[in-house]
Amino acid sequence: MSRVPSADPGWLVPASLFGVPLGAALWLGVSPSLDAAAWSRLWQDSQLPRALALSLWTGAASTLIAATLTVLIVTHGAATSTWRRLQAWLAPMLAVPHAAFAIGLALLLMPSGPIARLLAPLAGWREPPDVASVQDPWGLALIAALVLKELPFLLWNVAAQLRRAGQADEITRQLQLAATLGYSPRSAWWRVLWPQLLPRLSLPLLAVWAYALTVVDMAIVLGPTRPPTLAVLAWRWLLDADVAANRAGAAAALLLCLCVAGGAFMAIAAMRALHPLLMRRWTRGDRPPAPARRRPLATPLLGSAYALVVLALVFVSLAGVWRFPDLLPAQWDTRNWRTALDSASTLGTTTLLALLSAATGVALAIGWMETTPPHWDTRAAPFVFAPMLVPGVLLAGGLYQLSLSLRLDGSWVGLWLAHSLAAAPYALVSLAPAYRALDPRYEQTAQALGRGRLATLCRVKWPMLLAPIAAAFAVGFAVSVAQFLSTQFVGAGRYATLTTEALTLASGGQRGLGAAFALLQALLPAMVFAIAWWLGHVQARRLGAPGAAAVGA
Amino acid sequence: MHPTRRRLLAATAALPALHWSPRAAAAGDWPTIERAARGQTVYFNAWAGSERINAYLQWAGAEVDKRWGMKLSHVKIADTAEAVARVRAEKRAGRDMHGSVDMVWINGENFLAMKREGLLFGPFAERLPNYAHVDTSGKPTTRIDFSEPVEGMEAPWGMAQLTFFGDGQRVAQPPHSVAALLDFARRHPGRFTYPKPPDFHGTTFLKQVLLETAADRAPFQKPIATEGFAALSAPLWATLDALHPSLWRQGRQFAQHAAAMRQMLADGELLIAFTFNPNEAANEIAAGRLPASVVSWQHDGGTIGNTHFLAIPFNASAKEGAQVLIDFLLSPAAQARKADIAVWGDPTVLAVDRLDAAQRSLFTRAVAPGMVGRGAPALPEPHASWVEPLEREWTRRYGQ
Repeated sequence: MSRVPSADPGWLVPASLFGVPLGAALWLGVSPSLDAAAWSRLWQDSQLPRALALSLWTGAASTLIAATLTVLIVTHGAATSTWRRLQAWLAPMLAVPHAAFAIGLALLLMPSGPIARLLAPLAGWREPPDVASVQDPWGLALIAALVLKELPFLLWNVAAQLRRAGQADEITRQLQLAATLGYSPRSAWWRVLWPQLLPRLSLPLLAVWAYALTVVDMAIVLGPTRPPTLAVLAWRWLLDADVAANRAGAAAALLLCLCVAGGAFMAIAAMRALHPLLMRRWTRGDRPPAPARRRPLATPLLGSAYALVVLALVFVSLAGVWRFPDLLPAQWDTRNWRTALDSASTLGTTTLLALLSAATGVALAIGWMETTPPHWDTRAAPFVFAPMLVPGVLLAGGLYQLSLSLRLDGSWVGLWLAHSLAAAPYALVSLAPAYRALDPRYEQTAQALGRGRLATLCRVKWPMLLAPIAAAFAVGFAVSVAQFLSTQFVGAGRYATLTTEALTLASGGQRGLGAAFALLQALLPAMVFAIAWWLGHVQARRLGAPGAAAVGA
Repeated sequence: MHPTRRRLLAATAALPALHWSPRAAAAGDWPTIERAARGQTVYFNAWAGSERINAYLQWAGAEVDKRWGMKLSHVKIADTAEAVARVRAEKRAGRDMHGSVDMVWINGENFLAMKREGLLFGPFAERLPNYAHVDTSGKPTTRIDFSEPVEGMEAPWGMAQLTFFGDGQRVAQPPHSVAALLDFARRHPGRFTYPKPPDFHGTTFLKQVLLETAADRAPFQKPIATEGFAALSAPLWATLDALHPSLWRQGRQFAQHAAAMRQMLADGELLIAFTFNPNEAANEIAAGRLPASVVSWQHDGGTIGNTHFLAIPFNASAKEGAQVLIDFLLSPAAQARKADIAVWGDPTVLAVDRLDAAQRSLFTRAVAPGMVGRGAPALPEPHASWVEPLEREWTRRYGQ
């Protein structure tokens, strides 16, 4: 029996480089809320009950719908060609930033949008209908946007789990075994495979739930306004000129954190309570007949939704005056694109910052994984997931105060550090499954042949892991591009990135220019994702099938 | 007396005249300030939601670079409160020098907050050479911001007045009062709305209705007295109660901000929108974002008008540069270019008739489609202490 591997002391370096600033920032962000006056002001606000209820409703509904759709898509489509094609499109769908997607969906759904214009001749509308299709009081538009954005994320996580070394064979074997026992593939998935896979998806599901509850930019564009969700209220209060409102906002953000934790505990408790009942039901011995094969609908719908959103952004960015109910704009106008492409310095700043932050994030992730044994990952999970689960505005506020005290505010170094702190968790989460799953015998063989540690890493391990490392880099890049609050605060507003331009222009209602910037904002990560995929593809071909299989590619 | 000792006494007597500390330079005479400003970089935190304004600031940056070798860095923010929050955080962190904000575009509540908390540098505005051209008598809001005396802590930059606009082809008779607007909304239900307070424009609409429906406007210029609030604001709520059923979405939903209203007008979803810049519609027509048939108007009894300002935080690193830049922005050449419809169209704070002929000729009086036909008097803003109670009461009544 081999000794349980222990960590070499070097783990302190990546851990403290990440953990210490994060802890300090969280503390500085949360401490204004530890004040009775803040909580009493929050409690007495007349908007609180409805805003909280809205947040919980939109968060829970979108998480449950996204989870259910994921399960259904995988159950019915896992073995088919649709699944393989879907996996190829998941990365581009993930690359579209949340804010850009929300803006595009709003443009699509609004009463003067393309859908309403198509319906206008049929319904006899001469003016845009007085129907709340976006910012509706029930938050349905927001739920739809969240589902459409989280579904590719969950599917990507499932695909990553299914691709793990040996996993594909394991699944095939279990399905075959179930088939020999008389169960249809669908029953086999529900009774055998999902009970094993769902616990492994608990962290992505938690991330989805936390995001849905604390999202601000999507809720501003699509969510209800009277009152808005609690996350939007907290954000507005935190940015208010009045100090008491800032404290109330910090209290509201802390309340959201507690709701995230509470929801997670309730879900775990519900699963535990349901488990015996489900087991009894599934081991009854009945063999439900296989349903008639239906053409999969969900996947084409998902793909067309994204295509329509991108199309809407393109249309609006090129449109001049576009009165209802004309299907096409009266004037086409390229001035928005000319302005957007003129700001070359913005493009340069965004790209350079994102490249540096992604590289730092991946370096931190690799540093952690090289110096710690695999079972330490579960211990590190709370710290790694904290930036994803805490409302972004709290973290950005805390980082800003930290940078103020370190005199790093308004400098490139401070901005790079803030973005790296945001990108590192995502890089770790996307890299860890493949990194940890690499067959350790490759390293052992290389070291047995006399190569030092560094040579092994550079010549054997990292080239084999090129595809996952490139994918993690692309994820970190996308996270850095999407950062808004930390750029505005830690950078003292001096560094304009595509996201800050898009959102400040959106505040001025310049829809066309905002749409152009949103498209650029989506294009940059998409290009990096494409490069990452191509690099992985080339490397897999070079290494041949065994090398690729060792990485689960 | 011994000659060396006499020279020593003379030298020590002259020492107090040596002003070499930065603070003294900031308080010194204008040529000293101009000299100190050379080569400085001024970080100007200004709302950047309009590319027209951003382009004007780029022009201003090129000009100050030519004349003083200064660099104007436009820090784009989505809301002035961000800059206020940053200065406040820096003060709390003990950063009394080398602050990140050198100049801020500000007015109203943000100015009040900064002035009360001691976050501003000054007084400086009335010492600027070009301040002599400012029309302080004809435009009293250049010295009183939201009923708070400016006292030179901020310099006026441009004038604003609440102006309505709509498509002349669809709005045959633009309503020139709140009563007429109510009537119009009833005849065209669902085609008018206002942004939800506490948005700046939404609150201003409330104040406009408050002032127009009040029998006596004097109480609103004084700080609010809680006992009288219910009685004084009753006509406002009565009017809104009558208006809301005819609003867009029957008042269950409101526009996000003034720019969203303008966009909905361009789409045809709304028939009337409003703005603080009287030349906004003309600008949008010139930019091709509104059809040329759009017209602007102001209410006959007057609409709320105010001034927007430029201020310098207490810990700015480039105080001299900021003062020189503000003085440049107050110059007739810069103000004329700002007032040009083709550039920005923001009305000037200067007394144009008091300028000499050459400077006056810079201000074109060209009439462009979409400009206000018949101007109306500018009503002074109510005292700033009225804003929060109004917003809170509105939220309580209609906000959920």
